[in-house]
Amino acid sequence: MSDRPDMAAPVVLDRARPDIRQFAAQAKLPGLVFLALLVLGLLDPRIVSSGNLWNIAIQTSYLALFAMAQTMVLLTRGFDLSLGFTVSLVSVISAMVMTGSGDMPILWGIAAGLGVGLLIGGLNGFLIAGVGINPLVTTLGMANIVMALASTVSGGFPVPGIPEAFTEALAEGRLIGIPVPILFAALCFAVLFLVLRFTVFGRGLYLIGANPRAAKAAGVRTGRVVAIDYGVCSLLAAIGAMLLTARTGSGEPNLGGNLTLESIAAAVVGGVRLTGGEGGVTAALLGALFITVISNAMNLMQVDGYLQQVLLGLIILASLILGRDHKKR
Amino acid sequence: MLELTGMTKRFGGVVALDGVDFTLLSGEVHALLGENGAGKSTLINLIAGTYGWTEGSCRIDGQTVSALTPQKSRDAGVAAVFQEFSLVPDLTVEENLFLGREIKGRLFLNRRAMRARAEERFRDVGFHVELDSKIETLTRAQKQMVEIAKGMLSDAKILILDEPTASLTDGEAEKLFAAIAGLKARGVGIIYVSHRMAEIRRLADRVTVLRGGRKIDTLAIAAASDATLIEMMVGQPVERLYPSISQRPAEIVLATRGISVSGTLSDASIVVRAGEIVGLAGLVGCGRSELCRAVFGLERVTSGEIELHGEVVRAPVPHSMLRAGLCYYPADRGAEGLALGRPGRENVTMAALDDPRLSQAGLLKFWRERRAIAAPLKTLGLRPMAPERAASSFSGGNQQKLVLARGLMRPVSVHIFDEPTVGIDVGAKSEVYRLMKSLVENGAAILLSSSELPELVHLTNRVYVMREGRIVAELKADGITEATVLRHYFDAETGATEAA
Amino acid sequence: MSPDTLRRRFLETGGIVILLLVAVAAAAAIIEPRFLNRLNILNVLRNFSFLAVPAIGQMIVMTTGGFDLSVGATMALASVVTAAAMAAMPDAHGLQLLMPVALALACGACVGLVNGTLVARLSLSPFMVTLASLSIVAGLTLYYTQGIPIYGVSDAFVYAIGRGQGLGLPPVLLLAIVVIAIAIILQRRTALGRHFYAVGGNVGAARLSGVRTHRVLITAYVLSGLLAALTGVLITARIGSGQSTIGGTLGLETIAAAVIGGVSLRGGSGRAENVAMAALCLTIIANAMNLTQIDSKFQTLVLGSVLIGALAFDRIVQGRRANV
Repeated sequence: MSDRPDMAAPVVLDRARPDIRQFAAQAKLPGLVFLALLVLGLLDPRIVSSGNLWNIAIQTSYLALFAMAQTMVLLTRGFDLSLGFTVSLVSVISAMVMTGSGDMPILWGIAAGLGVGLLIGGLNGFLIAGVGINPLVTTLGMANIVMALASTVSGGFPVPGIPEAFTEALAEGRLIGIPVPILFAALCFAVLFLVLRFTVFGRGLYLIGANPRAAKAAGVRTGRVVAIDYGVCSLLAAIGAMLLTARTGSGEPNLGGNLTLESIAAAVVGGVRLTGGEGGVTAALLGALFITVISNAMNLMQVDGYLQQVLLGLIILASLILGRDHKKR
Repeated sequence: MLELTGMTKRFGGVVALDGVDFTLLSGEVHALLGENGAGKSTLINLIAGTYGWTEGSCRIDGQTVSALTPQKSRDAGVAAVFQEFSLVPDLTVEENLFLGREIKGRLFLNRRAMRARAEERFRDVGFHVELDSKIETLTRAQKQMVEIAKGMLSDAKILILDEPTASLTDGEAEKLFAAIAGLKARGVGIIYVSHRMAEIRRLADRVTVLRGGRKIDTLAIAAASDATLIEMMVGQPVERLYPSISQRPAEIVLATRGISVSGTLSDASIVVRAGEIVGLAGLVGCGRSELCRAVFGLERVTSGEIELHGEVVRAPVPHSMLRAGLCYYPADRGAEGLALGRPGRENVTMAALDDPRLSQAGLLKFWRERRAIAAPLKTLGLRPMAPERAASSFSGGNQQKLVLARGLMRPVSVHIFDEPTVGIDVGAKSEVYRLMKSLVENGAAILLSSSELPELVHLTNRVYVMREGRIVAELKADGITEATVLRHYFDAETGATEAA
Repeated sequence: MSPDTLRRRFLETGGIVILLLVAVAAAAAIIEPRFLNRLNILNVLRNFSFLAVPAIGQMIVMTTGGFDLSVGATMALASVVTAAAMAAMPDAHGLQLLMPVALALACGACVGLVNGTLVARLSLSPFMVTLASLSIVAGLTLYYTQGIPIYGVSDAFVYAIGRGQGLGLPPVLLLAIVVIAIAIILQRRTALGRHFYAVGGNVGAARLSGVRTHRVLITAYVLSGLLAALTGVLITARIGSGQSTIGGTLGLETIAAAVIGGVSLRGGSGRAENVAMAALCLTIIANAMNLTQIDSKFQTLVLGSVLIGALAFDRIVQGRRANV
């Protein structure tokens, strides 16, 4: 080509208007969180105590990790229904390795946990991108397999005896005054944010989500990108799983029971589109924060756990209805 | 029997139809003429009730109708045969014919009655399609026949036919014309949309020409010559639309040797040289598009060889073909060309993300991207020049420019255009042609697959004509006229020059 | 016939399911002779009914291109409602016992109505809608029972439906056969049946052809809710108490049965008889594993593997078209 794009005339950067609208859309949720805190704080002052606010921050960081994991695959019009049980299996296996003998059990435990996550994600990715099976059914099937493994391996009981060093470092530890789980969530958030914005891989995810056929026809290696994406998703789930394991102090076969639903809920509430190609980790983070604030308040006010489940469903429905695409074609 | 006044339809900010008046008499064939994007399909969709109009009024049989839905329109006696088939792929021919108006007893379907009625209708029209085949197993021509039979099934008073002959052979089209004559005699009013001047001349009584959403004129077909009609349609003398391109064929850059794609393409061999535009002609569904897609790696090639720049490509995949300097511009922008929800910028750079100008080691050169798209978009004249807007917010012509810009984002020596001017306005069209001219004159090779014959006639150096998945003729420079190309569409024996 | 059309015929008529069914049954009989025991066969058929009935509902929803994840929760709701209503009217007998049943069925239909309305009128994702309603319905049921079984189910009801026999067969099986037969007739002989396929195959075309797509979609979800509720009632009659946990894996199994029975996830295809056969396959596998005393946890593992395996097989046989 004879064109020299680099010496180009300035382009109209028509950004002002969309940005305001985008800002308004993005500001809605933080506003809602703030409002919720305000109202709940008036109802029960304990909710806005500094101790509880730290508590909310820590709880948010676990859910945020899972919501970000889910968001990564939602972006490509995918789903990971095996996320919750992946958390269970990683928890059980890493705990079993840690309580076993050998040098550096903690390190091996962490490696085993991450390995299990990668394995599940890789398998999901292979089946979805390589064989071409629908992501819903693939991960639904995988959920069953992983659930069965988690309860068989552990015999259905918690795996006790996790080294204290592990618990202390990952659950109670603080670095520059900030609890470790928050640091982990922040780090993952930063990395993913940059990956989505500034890498070819991240751009590929959005393009595939917006129109998989167009992405393919434009030379995006859709299969590879999607496969790696599921690996990333499960890896994030594994990281979250180990943080949670450190918090509970044992490997729990039932650790992830509700996490699949909650991770999807957080992402959807945050504004990630199930039709792909829209949203990002910021949305996942905000969604996770919103849901944590609500459930924290309900816990403090001793609302029945089952009713909380009902409310979660209603919140999902409400955000689906509110976030509906009005630009009908 | 049908009277539209001041019909206006806006989609968001885009005015698709602007104050159009239209009347249809009973027993008349009224042709709608216009370029792609002129508003023909919007008009017929309004009449069929697919979507409501923004302004205007509509009277059917003297009754004012405030708003139309598909049901209301059907109840008023309108039947429409669209180009995009309103057929359900998983159901059989018979099930589709009666979809939404099944003949039934109190509880169960009356299958015998439906069968008899369907057979009768197919006999009337003279088509032969197995009533129990599933739609997805039919050829495009067969689907077209089913669609036509479906439109004629109900005793409609107003029948809309949208390019019904686009994929029919001559013989089949004859049968359709006979059927239309029959309906006309029964007093049915027919709105007939077509590009083919000869057809319109033969069938129509009156013709309405649309351009850019406005009505240019309605006149009796006998009162207008072809040249005037075309000029009304295009808005300028034809010669001005097509630039004169100096073709200087040099070395062979792309060659296929007997490539086949299961079910759609068999044993196709073509040669494309640097510095020339090579056309692919044929009916819709003749395998043109599949040939283009196979070369780019979007269809699996079952046999044969593809050679690019003198090297055999083992298994073509899009990203490696792009790297080797071959770019394909898809025919269907919405389905395969654009990520509509994403900004224009991302669509432009989509095919060049691995180019060192845009990324390094998987990291995007984010700030450079914005600068890099400026020149290509300026060359193409994107309007509005607002690449941060979502691709969906641009008009058809400008969406096409977003697609075409991808070929300017990286070194490309072979451009494959698949129906590049479908659904875009005249202005955008001439800009597309200008782009082709500058590409070719700078030494690139172009393969142009198109159903618009004038395009092929005016732009190409050579044309391959395809029929039923095979290449049946190769026409050179002076031999390329609409008449010769059309003859090869249908007839196998017309002295076809075997493709090299 | 060319191999291509032969292959298509084979896939369409459910050849795979028949093969699978024969293979599974033969394997079960060889590995575990007790499988052929009359009582065991009756047991298999009874369990088959509990799976086949809601699977038919799931199939209807899936042919319209949807998904119903709330099936399991609806079963539990129906079970609890039946038991609670019966416990509230301890003196009821005869036809009065139909009142609780009707109430339970109405609840199921309501869940379906809400699902269908949200999916059709607001064009929300069926998956998300039913996921949310799963959460809501299961939460409400658990809240009401606090996870504790509800006793007081009428003995007459239990003996007549859960444990009785008609024509030498369990009544639940007869009911399931009726449901399957109606579904087959619905699909082949009624306009509604065709409209289910049409909406799943090409909504736009269906609407253009004058099919009332919203109504069709809502009907599909209502039927699914109704059949799930019916299953809940039947299971309650079998176990004699209302339980909030009965839907556990059954909801998932209905999806597995439908998918193995050849229902396309994109909608537009699927046959009741194939889904019924797939349900029978799954029941036999579970039964054989029970007989050979394989850990029940492995059953979910097998279920997951069969689900993925069936789809992978399907993909490979059909070729890798329309990927992504």
